[in-house]
Amino acid sequence: MRVISTMKFTFFRMVREYITLLLLLVVPIVLLTVFSFVLEGVTTETGEPLINEQNVIFVLVFQMFGGALAMAYIHTDFFTERKQRIYALPFNQTLYAFSIMVCGIVYSVLLGIVLMTFSEFVFGADWGNWLWAIYIIFLLALLSNIVCLIFTFSVNNFKIAERLSEVYGVGFVILAGLIFPVPGNDFFVFVNTYVNPITLAADAIYGMNQSHAGEAWFRSNILLIASGVLFIVMLILGKRKIR
Amino acid sequence: MMIASMQGVVKRYGSNIVLDYVDLAIDEGEIIGLLGPNGAGKTTLIQTLTGMIPFEKGQVTLFGDVKAPFSNKNKEKIGLVTQEITIFEELTAKENLQFFAGVYGLKGEEKKNSVQEALEFVGLSDRANKMPKKFSGGMKRRLNIACALTHRPRFIIMDEPTVGIDPQSRNYILEAVKKLREEGTTILYTTHYMEEVQAIASRVVIMDQGQIIKEGTVDELIKTIQHEEKVKIDVTDAGQIPLNKLESVTGVKQVNVDGNQIMIISEANSGNLDRILSLIKAHAGVLGIQADKPNLEDVFLTLTGKQLRDKVGEE
Repeated sequence: MRVISTMKFTFFRMVREYITLLLLLVVPIVLLTVFSFVLEGVTTETGEPLINEQNVIFVLVFQMFGGALAMAYIHTDFFTERKQRIYALPFNQTLYAFSIMVCGIVYSVLLGIVLMTFSEFVFGADWGNWLWAIYIIFLLALLSNIVCLIFTFSVNNFKIAERLSEVYGVGFVILAGLIFPVPGNDFFVFVNTYVNPITLAADAIYGMNQSHAGEAWFRSNILLIASGVLFIVMLILGKRKIR
Repeated sequence: MMIASMQGVVKRYGSNIVLDYVDLAIDEGEIIGLLGPNGAGKTTLIQTLTGMIPFEKGQVTLFGDVKAPFSNKNKEKIGLVTQEITIFEELTAKENLQFFAGVYGLKGEEKKNSVQEALEFVGLSDRANKMPKKFSGGMKRRLNIACALTHRPRFIIMDEPTVGIDPQSRNYILEAVKKLREEGTTILYTTHYMEEVQAIASRVVIMDQGQIIKEGTVDELIKTIQHEEKVKIDVTDAGQIPLNKLESVTGVKQVNVDGNQIMIISEANSGNLDRILSLIKAHAGVLGIQADKPNLEDVFLTLTGKQLRDKVGEE
């Protein structure tokens, strides 16, 4: 129960990280705004405004980097000088690490909701079922946090863990063809259909919007199962590093 | 009552022995000054005593608990002031204390009062709602101490709490430690500043190369190396004084004259100062007396053959 009392303060710490706020909230808002003007009037093959699709993708892309905050806090609290103080405290240290991860996920989802609200009410983006969209954003944030923590627990040099987390985020953005078009061969099709969290999440949201609920659930369940499996990996690795 | 003890504790990092069969017992109300140069093993001793790191051999007891000394129940009675500043920079001073008070199970009014008291204790009440980012090094150190005091621990471990701060803040911290001592708190205070230990410790433990090489009160430790006493006497005319008579005084080992200053080296505790002064006064006027007494630095130097601190770049 004592760990719960710390969550409010962990959340305060996260909210006061202004650089993170700038990167995960202000930058996406600026990009959404710019692209909304650039893509104004442009439609997809189905006649839908292209900006709808772009807004969803943008919000999802930034969720891929949401794990960086929990990663940094776990590193600071458990792998720097502060660990001496944390280990001297009369609470379950593993649970405290878990609480940091939970705060990171909640914070990431909240930022996602702010971006959703902004894109829907300012640029008229259509998110469809909001609860479903929030669930997908949650899955992406969960996965991002788990992956980032796996990197933190796997390597001794935190800088390398940070770079790996960036590779995870940027790598899947590239694979999704968001920076430049990717070849339409079997490998890329397979990756973007069953592996890439961004395309899985985007397809889950589009699928639900287009009444392909089965397809949407299938995509979201891949994210959920991946999170479950990786959570166990994270737990095993974390147990070795956090007593 | 015994608060903490270590018996035959051995800690190794690879082939390097950091704690070498350490025995230490801390009674309630004691202020133990743990003195040693950098790398002596002081921080490792603390980490072992708080259960932060495992050890290869020996036994640690906290509050009489041998079976589970590092249980949360025992941790609740300990306050740890870390050597590094380990406060949360993104939280205000008050929030920092609220965080730790909550972890120690304080709630409601009790939590509010203890946070306020801790802030007052370290003189940061007027900065309660300010971010530590804007604090001076000394203020951060004080907040670092307050974080370990919110739950009013019975046993406080302070790991070099005055490193790298200004003299005013150091005095403030030392005064705070004295206040805690008056309240009956047991404190383990590690430092390599001899004068701090002399000012606050009821017992001094000297460590070097992972071993406790000597312990006792400051006076006891000094006595162990005090074989001679050195007295310098400034006189009006040293030429008038019969040095052979001075040399024949019981206990006097050596008499040297430097201008109008006479330096006399006697055996320790020989009690011959009265006799020496009467002899001098019979032939010349006495202008001043200066007795050179050994201090903890000398004790350390004698025991280890090293200086307690590096002289270069100090303060």
